[in-house]
Amino acid sequence: MTYQWDFTPVLANSGLLAQGLVNTLKVTGTALVCGVVLGLALALLRLSPRSYLSWPAGFVIEVFRTTPPLVQLFWFYFALPLLAGIEMTPFMAAAVTFSIQSAAFFAEVFRGGIVSIERGQWDGARAIGMTQAQALRRIVLPQAVKRMIPAFMERAIELMKTTTLVATISYADLLYAANEISQKTFRPLETFTVAALIYFVVITAFSLAARQLERRLSVSGESTVR
Amino acid sequence: MHKWDFASVFANTDALLAGAAGTLRIFALCLVLGLSLGLIVGLGRTSRSRWLYWPASAFVEFFRNTPVLVQILWFYFALPMLLPFQIGPLAAAALGISLNSAAFSAEIFRGGIQSIDPGQWDGARAIGMGWGQAMRRIILPQALKRMTPALTNRAIEIFKMSTLASAVAYVELLQQGKLIASLNFNPIEAYTAIAVIFFVFLWPLVQMTYFLERRLKRDE
Repeated sequence: MTYQWDFTPVLANSGLLAQGLVNTLKVTGTALVCGVVLGLALALLRLSPRSYLSWPAGFVIEVFRTTPPLVQLFWFYFALPLLAGIEMTPFMAAAVTFSIQSAAFFAEVFRGGIVSIERGQWDGARAIGMTQAQALRRIVLPQAVKRMIPAFMERAIELMKTTTLVATISYADLLYAANEISQKTFRPLETFTVAALIYFVVITAFSLAARQLERRLSVSGESTVR
Repeated sequence: MHKWDFASVFANTDALLAGAAGTLRIFALCLVLGLSLGLIVGLGRTSRSRWLYWPASAFVEFFRNTPVLVQILWFYFALPMLLPFQIGPLAAAALGISLNSAAFSAEIFRGGIQSIDPGQWDGARAIGMGWGQAMRRIILPQALKRMTPALTNRAIEIFKMSTLASAVAYVELLQQGKLIASLNFNPIEAYTAIAVIFFVFLWPLVQMTYFLERRLKRDE
């Protein structure tokens, strides 16, 4: 038996898929921005010499790196609202979970980058009268960030793939839209194939851009090869 | 203020044990399939023959650049359209996770093999070894040592990915957590317990990779 491929039902619903892709990018973007900011804060706390700051930060990082993201998502969607007495939309649950989760990973990237800067840079900054915070902001971070870019891009791409999990709590991302269409049209083969191809094209475009950026950075003298 | 009560979770220990068995089963299956297929694809990626290099590269690119959950749902809902038989939840989830892990571990194997000094190849060939012998006796044993931390990390990722099998209703820990939460109306305790179980399983593994990474750095 040969299967008759027919993509017209999928094309007829391309609006739903496009809206799904927009929602996927929305969750990814939100989690990325919050994750980077929160990740920097966690990294600085973890690097603090005071153990009452570094221990809790280390604990949060370890917990979110060692538990499965889907378990975290379920906890934030089903358990937290009851515990805190708040309303939680699927988008909020996804944004909160993936922000904290990617913050835990970004924190390790930041920490690695900051630690990789030679002591002499700190000493030099202090010698010309900068405070610890000024030295960090003006001298150490700008150099560290450049070294961290490849690891950042990799994490961002991982994050985009992880966001597909929101489909399991009925947020209308690209995967959820595909599932809807396949149930409506009875064309699972075509819809899921198209969805997979859309993900492939978008993610490949991002990783090609990342590779290009990496090459540019390595030309400008700063080795970014880990 | 919520009153925590784990009694309703402990009352369902049987369900949790069944879930743990399911998680371990799919983990073991995907670990073995993913890493062995990864080694084959990784060898293909180091090959000079275009007929091996291109298919291996296409495989790696495709499976690294699509989300695992999409792959699992594709195998579960889409593939059976082309086949004369149904695909069960375990098979669909194991296929998705194994192929995805194969793509990632192929890059680890390729990196490890290419990191070995070409002189090692020359030496092995000089004393009369064939390609297979040199790879098996000289190159892989050295490469494996360098790859161990990265491969352990992969194993941890596979363990975490096993929860995605719950999306196709395969009986594993998270799926059982869902069941317990819906039967006893205790999502707070049920999902907290599941998170704690995963943490307890995985934390020692994560500490081990840190240890392996440190030891490798010291040795090199």
